[in-house]
Amino acid sequence: MSGYDRALSVFSPDGHVFQVEYALEAVKRGTCAVGVRGADIVVLGCEKRTAMKLQDTRITPSKIAVIDHHVCLAFAGLNADARVLVDKARVEAQSHRLTVEDPVTIEYLTKHIAGIQQKYTQSGGVRPFGISTLIIGFDPYDKTPRLYQTEPSGIYSAWKANAIGRSSKTVREFLEKNYEEDMNREATIRLTIKSLLEVVQTGAKNIEIAIMASGKRIEMLPVDSIEQYVRDIEAEKEAEAAKKKSRAQTSSN
Amino acid sequence: MDVILGITTEKEVIVITSRAAVRGVSILKTDDDKTRVVAPHTLLAYTGEAGDTVQFAEYIQANIQLHEMRNTTELSPPAITSFIRTQLATSLRSRKPYNVNVLVAGFDTATDKPELNWIDYLASRVKVPYAAHGYAAYYTLSLLDRWHRTDLTLAEGLEVADMCIAELKKRLPIDFKGVEIKVVDKDGVRTEKVTE
Amino acid sequence: MSRRYDSRTTIFSPEGRLYQVEYALEAISHAGTSIGILAKDGIVLAAERKVTSKLLEQDTSAEKLYTINGNMICAVAGLNSDASILVNYARVYSQDYLKLYNEDISCEQLVRRVCDLKQGYTQHGGLRPFGVSFIYAGWDPLYGFQLYQSNPSGNYGGWKATSVGANNATAQTLLKQDYKDDCTLQEAGELAMKVLSKTMDATTLTSEKVEFATVGKDKEGKVYCHLWKPAEIDLLLKKFGLAKKVEDEDDE
Repeated sequence: MSGYDRALSVFSPDGHVFQVEYALEAVKRGTCAVGVRGADIVVLGCEKRTAMKLQDTRITPSKIAVIDHHVCLAFAGLNADARVLVDKARVEAQSHRLTVEDPVTIEYLTKHIAGIQQKYTQSGGVRPFGISTLIIGFDPYDKTPRLYQTEPSGIYSAWKANAIGRSSKTVREFLEKNYEEDMNREATIRLTIKSLLEVVQTGAKNIEIAIMASGKRIEMLPVDSIEQYVRDIEAEKEAEAAKKKSRAQTSSN
Repeated sequence: MDVILGITTEKEVIVITSRAAVRGVSILKTDDDKTRVVAPHTLLAYTGEAGDTVQFAEYIQANIQLHEMRNTTELSPPAITSFIRTQLATSLRSRKPYNVNVLVAGFDTATDKPELNWIDYLASRVKVPYAAHGYAAYYTLSLLDRWHRTDLTLAEGLEVADMCIAELKKRLPIDFKGVEIKVVDKDGVRTEKVTE
Repeated sequence: MSRRYDSRTTIFSPEGRLYQVEYALEAISHAGTSIGILAKDGIVLAAERKVTSKLLEQDTSAEKLYTINGNMICAVAGLNSDASILVNYARVYSQDYLKLYNEDISCEQLVRRVCDLKQGYTQHGGLRPFGVSFIYAGWDPLYGFQLYQSNPSGNYGGWKATSVGANNATAQTLLKQDYKDDCTLQEAGELAMKVLSKTMDATTLTSEKVEFATVGKDKEGKVYCHLWKPAEIDLLLKKFGLAKKVEDEDDE
């Protein structure tokens, strides 16, 4: 132990703030979350831990939280940290409505959340938030879907599609390869689920999908409809594999 | 000299508010809305010191909505009423109390019943079948005593409302520039009619 | 000056773990077992008490089970002094809520509130986490009877049957084996006692070693929370055939 990771918010001689880097490790240990922007909707997908037999699924908290009617957030990392951060965001969203008579813009809220996260990397006697977040939604009087990410360091950024949490690198690479501009509703949802299937082997029961469209409230995709997507994607994959195989055979012949 | 008036019928609450915003002897505008929707099934109508009223109503609105976002469920009208009363009671004992009188009109989806509450700036709260604040009360309560029934239909309720409005027009010394009539029922809050 | 205390704050390990929280969990795994089981018509909580003495006032010295408000009770496992702070907090908060809204707080809201406090103690300066896990049993109009579990990290979740404390892995396996989705309160009580008798060091149960509570509805449909008196527990144990026979007692 060098000592530079013991006290909080302190630089090590080579310029690291270790606590922030370790917080990112906590994020990587969290379940995966994906966000994808389509032409006029934006979708969040989450890996859901398998509910144990004795768990009461009615009252087990979700990884997707509604901040205001037009903004929602998914996180990866420590659940309890996320809950507290989400609560702060909700207060800000309403407080903003009260003071300027307008709902928050997505960037404003992202900036606010990132700002809180930053504060916890620099203040005395606290540790950083062990979470990254994906924030989606629509600005008031606007139809452009938005997707932002925040990190424990307080960095925030805008994305067309991105992933956080466990195996997020694999998923991000998949998204980079398969993302297309101006996807319709079907294609956006499909890409979200398909990218999640890269790391979620167990299929629909471990996936949660939330969809937002301009001027509408959040829509949670029902399980049977996620199942349908998963079946379609798997059928397609098999067909492709079979095609490849036959092609390989013909070429080898 | 604002008019705010609430009438419960069998399945809904009718809320009537005057459209004039008055300061001293001048009318500032004629399309004022003296209500705020604080929850999907709860409408807050207010009167009192200008400035205090809107400030207070929006403060309540923001807090109820925050509660809704945090808990993903709607607060019931009685809970909201109780919350408002507590806020007024706390305010009353502060350095600068809100001078606001309100009616809380709600439809309780748990019991399937409309509910109307009268609260004044002293934070006294009464659940009532019909209510009014200020001068409007002088002229309309006797009419309501005569014509109100708990089993009124919406149409009958609106008829009683029209009688009240006619009486107010006749008796009040200042033109209140018509009214907005809103209805709170199982489907939420809607504007039923706006008169000149 | 304050640095000295800062370094005791909960901080991330290089793998992104919170050791203080994990140590707190470790402390809890030595505490007496608590079990909660959700039935279709109520919930039972049962717990093993560690402090036993012939001189102890049984009726008035609860160790594991506490009433929070009219609709909710909880079982604790871990440091009892920490637990009593949180129980007190929950009691005050639920009454504050009642005062403000004239309505009982919903179960999840209360659980979340206490968990938010716990979370704070894993993040803010100079404080160690609360070394206590909870099982909450309650009723509200939203979801009816509900069972929650929470731990020092501030995480919580809903359960049909769960356990905390020593041997909770064994208890969980037993619960998984024998839990039925539509069991009655009576059956749940029997299962709780049976599991407890297997996870405890002692071979037989007595009211000295066990605390028991139920949440249910009475004949008028009113919710009740009942922490059982020692005499009632003994009677129950006898009924389930888990009580110690008088002859055995002399052998010890």
